Amino acid sequence: MIQITKKLTGKKYWRSLDQFYQTTEFQNWINREFPSEAAEMLDEPSRRNILKLMGASFALGGLTACRRPIENILPFSKNVEGFIHGKPLYYNTVMSLGGQAVGLSVETNEFRPTKIEGNPAHPWSLGSTKSYHQASVLSLYDDSRGVGVIGDGKASNWDAFTAYVKNLQGQLGNGAGLRFLSEPIHSPSFAAVKRHAMTRFPGAKWVEYSAVQTSATAHPTVPRIAFDKAAVVVALDSDFLGLDDTSVLAVKEFSRGRKITDEANPVMNRLYAVEPQFTVTGAAADHRFRLKASEIPNFATALLGALQAQSSPLQVLGQNNASKALSAIAKDLLANRGKAVVVTGPRQSAAVHQIVHQINQALGAVGPIVTYLPATTDQTRPQLDAMKELAGEMAAGQVNTLVMLGWNPVFTAPADLSFEANLKKVANTIYLAQDADETAAVSKWVVPAAHYLESWGDAVAVDGTASIQQPTIQPLWGGRTPAEIAALVSGYKDQHAYDIVRNHWLPIAGGEKGWKKALHDGLIRNATGAATTATASTTPTFHTSAPAPTPASGFEVIFAPSWSLFDGRFANNGWLQELPDPMTKLTWDNAAFISPASATKLGVIGGDVISIERNGRKLEAAVMIQPGQADDTILLPVGYGRAKVGAIGEGTGFNAYSIRTTDGFGYGTGFNVSKTGRTYPLARTQEFEYQEEPHLVNFQEVAVRPILREGTLDQYKKNPHFAEQMVEHPPLRSLYGDYDYSKGQQWAMTIDLNSCIGCNACMVACQAENNIGVVGKEQVARGREMHWIRIDRYYSGAIEEPQAVTAPVTCMQCETAPCENVCPVAATVHSPEGLNDMVYNRCVGTRYCSNNCPYKVRRFNFLNWHSNEHEVTRMVYNPEVTVRMRGVMEKCTYCVQRIQNAKIAAKAENRRWLKDGEVNVACAQACPSDCITFGNVNDPESRVAKTKLSPRNYAMLGELNTKPRTTYLAKLRNPNPELVSAAPAAEAHHG
Amino acid sequence: MADLAVLKDPHVTPVLVEGDPSLHKLTSDVAQIVEGINRKVPVQWYMALAITGGLTMLLGAMLGYLTFTGIGVWGNNQPVGWAWDITNFVFWIGIGHAGTLISAILFLFRQKWRTSINRFAEAMTLFAVACALIYPLFHTGRPWRAAYWLLPLPNTHLAVWPNFRSPLVWDVFAVSTYATVSALFWYVGLVPDLATMRDRATGLGQKIYGALSLGWRGSARHWRNYEMAYLILAGLSTPLVLSVHSVVSFDFATSVLPGWHTTIFPPYFVAGAIFSGFAMVVTLMVIARWAFQIQHLVTMKHLENMNKIMLATGTIVGYAYATEFFIAWYSGNPYERFTFINRAFGPYAWAYWTMISCNVITPQFFWFKKLRTNVPFMFVLSIFINIGMWFERFVIIASSLHRDFLPSSWGYFTPTWVDILTFLGTFGLFLTLFLFFVRFLPMIAVSEVKGMVANEQMHHAVHGTAHGPDTHNPTPGMAPVTGGSH
Repeated sequence: MIQITKKLTGKKYWRSLDQFYQTTEFQNWINREFPSEAAEMLDEPSRRNILKLMGASFALGGLTACRRPIENILPFSKNVEGFIHGKPLYYNTVMSLGGQAVGLSVETNEFRPTKIEGNPAHPWSLGSTKSYHQASVLSLYDDSRGVGVIGDGKASNWDAFTAYVKNLQGQLGNGAGLRFLSEPIHSPSFAAVKRHAMTRFPGAKWVEYSAVQTSATAHPTVPRIAFDKAAVVVALDSDFLGLDDTSVLAVKEFSRGRKITDEANPVMNRLYAVEPQFTVTGAAADHRFRLKASEIPNFATALLGALQAQSSPLQVLGQNNASKALSAIAKDLLANRGKAVVVTGPRQSAAVHQIVHQINQALGAVGPIVTYLPATTDQTRPQLDAMKELAGEMAAGQVNTLVMLGWNPVFTAPADLSFEANLKKVANTIYLAQDADETAAVSKWVVPAAHYLESWGDAVAVDGTASIQQPTIQPLWGGRTPAEIAALVSGYKDQHAYDIVRNHWLPIAGGEKGWKKALHDGLIRNATGAATTATASTTPTFHTSAPAPTPASGFEVIFAPSWSLFDGRFANNGWLQELPDPMTKLTWDNAAFISPASATKLGVIGGDVISIERNGRKLEAAVMIQPGQADDTILLPVGYGRAKVGAIGEGTGFNAYSIRTTDGFGYGTGFNVSKTGRTYPLARTQEFEYQEEPHLVNFQEVAVRPILREGTLDQYKKNPHFAEQMVEHPPLRSLYGDYDYSKGQQWAMTIDLNSCIGCNACMVACQAENNIGVVGKEQVARGREMHWIRIDRYYSGAIEEPQAVTAPVTCMQCETAPCENVCPVAATVHSPEGLNDMVYNRCVGTRYCSNNCPYKVRRFNFLNWHSNEHEVTRMVYNPEVTVRMRGVMEKCTYCVQRIQNAKIAAKAENRRWLKDGEVNVACAQACPSDCITFGNVNDPESRVAKTKLSPRNYAMLGELNTKPRTTYLAKLRNPNPELVSAAPAAEAHHG
Repeated sequence: MADLAVLKDPHVTPVLVEGDPSLHKLTSDVAQIVEGINRKVPVQWYMALAITGGLTMLLGAMLGYLTFTGIGVWGNNQPVGWAWDITNFVFWIGIGHAGTLISAILFLFRQKWRTSINRFAEAMTLFAVACALIYPLFHTGRPWRAAYWLLPLPNTHLAVWPNFRSPLVWDVFAVSTYATVSALFWYVGLVPDLATMRDRATGLGQKIYGALSLGWRGSARHWRNYEMAYLILAGLSTPLVLSVHSVVSFDFATSVLPGWHTTIFPPYFVAGAIFSGFAMVVTLMVIARWAFQIQHLVTMKHLENMNKIMLATGTIVGYAYATEFFIAWYSGNPYERFTFINRAFGPYAWAYWTMISCNVITPQFFWFKKLRTNVPFMFVLSIFINIGMWFERFVIIASSLHRDFLPSSWGYFTPTWVDILTFLGTFGLFLTLFLFFVRFLPMIAVSEVKGMVANEQMHHAVHGTAHGPDTHNPTPGMAPVTGGSH
């Protein structure tokens, strides 16, 4: 029987009722009449028949060998302009996260987006990205996104959903029972749909809520701080280099002030950090002071008083010398009036922001350094007030239709709002779901959301730069955008995202030509050709009803976004789950980060489970000891502990939202903490912590290792070559003789420790570029993570008040590489251009090279890391890079595929040498602080050759005569001389 | 061979064969072990084989699982790229050393007491090398490639030679040479005894032993050629005793890793290998001489001599440990210094102190004659030494790797059940091969022992008639060994 699997077009004829109903009798008859395989031999097998069949089979067997069945293919005649198979195309687009629009340039290979780069033309991100952006391409191919349309718990389709919404529209009346819940809208076209919906349903309300507050979403005005103009920065509970902002503009600008541009007359900015948890901002700071978040207001007040010379009596501030330092800080700020700025973070209340504003006014910073930009949303109310009201209305049964367009409110809503319970009281719930999450489980209608890389949209950055979010692929799982759902519910004139966006922008961009240019450039220019901008002012407005918990006995809990999962939306993203926390190097989990003193007080060590409880809400979470955490505080990154999530995010971490309430949203005070006696395994990529082995006499030995070299600006001025003089060693001689690398292009890298903030962007960029596998928590715990580039973090100084230094470490491409000698099969060999090449095909996996690598940057495929991947997930792979099988070694190649492509392109232009900057490695490209420089060291004009001439340049473990091509520029700190004696002499120690 | 073992003074002739047995009794004592008492194989043999055979199958299963899943089923990681795999490799290679030492070096030094134990020890060498060879092959990520890519085969597939700078390639040559020469040496030594077995056997056994004995008839010409061949092979094997473990130690010594990068390794490894090899011989011999009732052939003198060697080599090993620490301090190299402090006081301190107590303290008991002639005591001590020497390799490999230059990469190794069962399985293979050996081949070099007996008897006779004491080359006593006429 011919099996017709495809839908035939045209009229369907039927022959009998039996056929129409497809009865068993009919099927049997069909099978008898037209046996699907001619299996039966009806006659008695006779010799003649057998011979006939054999002959026929033989002849036919021969025929089939002659040619394959004809399957016509059609040429790809309608081509993308300039498209060449095997060459990537780049599309500019924009990603909106945490209220920040970041311009991106997406590499697509054969129409699959595979790699995210920053769009250098975008003025608010300047071509840099965070790890979230880099990793977002993996979320696109997340197979757990394929939820489909679900109505009343049953699989449905878009047609049924549309019919349902049309029917619903009739019942809504003026929309008195209708509520929309979305994330803060930074999309002008979506905002237009919202305005339409509010007009169409005047009784309806639209609530915008984001679980993670950033400086872009916390208040109606967003401070715009020009960090590159500041000589002194004081960060009060502000992680402006890290998690308080999803744009990396602050990093870019701040790191400019850290770079030594004039070696003869070096200048650096100075950063003070006063904070409860150890942030990357604190790690970058010249002075860092621990202070509870609830004591920051006092500190700010005291600082203001000190600046105004009121010498108001200081309250006792925290457990350390923050108060002692205060006068020194004030003096330093005043000495740099006009070049000094104080910043605070979104966790702090409006009152603190107001004080900081006054400080900045007193310092003359408002105007030259600090300006205030209007928030890009039209949200006028504090989001928590709106959420509280929504929850109250839901509880009171006043809401009969709730359209949830933002990510997972059931999971992220403050715990005291009982959002899940209240949601059950709403008759009609519609949820635009990324995957089958907690909210989808309790919603009546679940419709799949489109990923930003597969849908039309737009976003406006804080500075007013608007960009079109242009898709790079058709929706993989049939998803739609929030604007489309809002348009459908409200009956907007345009129903498709493309029309919604295009019709909104066409008049602004100046017609078809402007629209095309906007798509091409990745930002919308107005008639004059300039990017759209927002108007800055010098007067801020703050949401005054934001909670400001006061100090209380018990523990204080700091809620922060997760470095990996943000607010939890990346829980099913393997790259981010495996990305280590910058300070603790914890992967696949969050934890309750507490100080060593708090741990002693509670009688716990890392991995013990504690119970954190307040007002009957309790969370049990594993402890991770974090030196530098303020005593009696707990840092709890949110987003982990998802109850319903795809396979990757299952069982990771602890749900901090379960104890996060509206009165303690940024941080909460008065928590009771107790030991439960249970333990929980935590997997870290950097295991050794000296405080875990206090008995080990080796700490001093560890401390004197000159691995990451650091000095002060004064030290540098006195002796610029201090870093290379830190190690004494005998003359270095090579057994096998040296190869002459003075000719040709010689690739090299420098890493400026002065500007590395340890943000992990390079790690994800490398993972995306080089198809690096994800190994999972258990394997990380075994020490088998695959990152080709890692960020090493070392503490120095006292255990309670440590300083931290971070450095990217990857294959050094040693000229006399210890790994090469020992490989028995010559699978790792040196290229004439100085690359330490890895020949995967030749590798048999003895792991000797890894043992003999002093930098331990080689990674072995202990198992097949790619065995359980969904076929859609495999689309993320970069076709330029081999996916390695199990049993072979791999490591950083200096992105050799990029070098080769650039060389091919240069050769086509009849050039032998590449121009500086013509090729860049993925890590350097992603680095927001531009601390990685890559290029041809034989080209004296290249940036890398110039940085190698810096007196700070040194080779890590150079005393082993490895002659690494990657060298480091020693870190400099610029401590306040007045505080140097007070602060521990941290700079001398490294470990 | 006894003809080379010149006895200067018959008064101090050690008692190497007790009870003054006839040559015939000697032959049948040894041959009976093979043939079975009254031609019946004892049921204990089958029981033992069931256990060791089961373990061998376990080894097969573990290696299969490993090959089809990946090295990740073991506990190896970054930074500990090698762990139990190479530990076990060096352990087994080391075990083999006693055999070669007894066969070759003691032969050249004319130590007569080796005769009763040399066959046994050589067999142990071969089986230990067989166990050892499993690891370098299967510890690779892609053994199906490693099986021949490390060999210098001219081929168009790879179009490259192996990297001759790599100590692993040196290893391939060293170990394969060692295995080949040891096997040849063992086989050549077996030829006269195989002929004896041929003459005693019937049916298929006779044919097989006949083929293996290469037409040995025991003629003087045969003896002459045989002894020359044996001497040459002994000469070839002697440098191998030193070279194999030296080359194995180069795997570590030529690397840059603190704790590995040490010039003392070659002699230290050789001493350790001999130490561990003798411990294993004692362990097995104590069982074998009891099980097969050959106390009169493997006498207390043999055991005591072996214990003395253990005392000597164990002390050398202890000295090497001390030297390593001294150099770590004296060199002023902070990485080296840390490695040794970490070795003794870090997370692997338990392994280090196990090693020290087993390898340095244990052999010191052998200073006392009473203890070194006490069979149960030496048995227990030999097992301690076996454990200690395994830990020595583990300490060198794991404790050096787990904390090297950059503290950010430090880690810890814990074995998985596959690690443990694979190691257990190699013992299964080792013992299975041994069971087959004692079942099918004469475990004591009968021809040589008979030479000894003849020698001693002649001494007694000569001494009795007050003739000159210096009588050697008792060739007449050797001639009949193949005839089965005794």
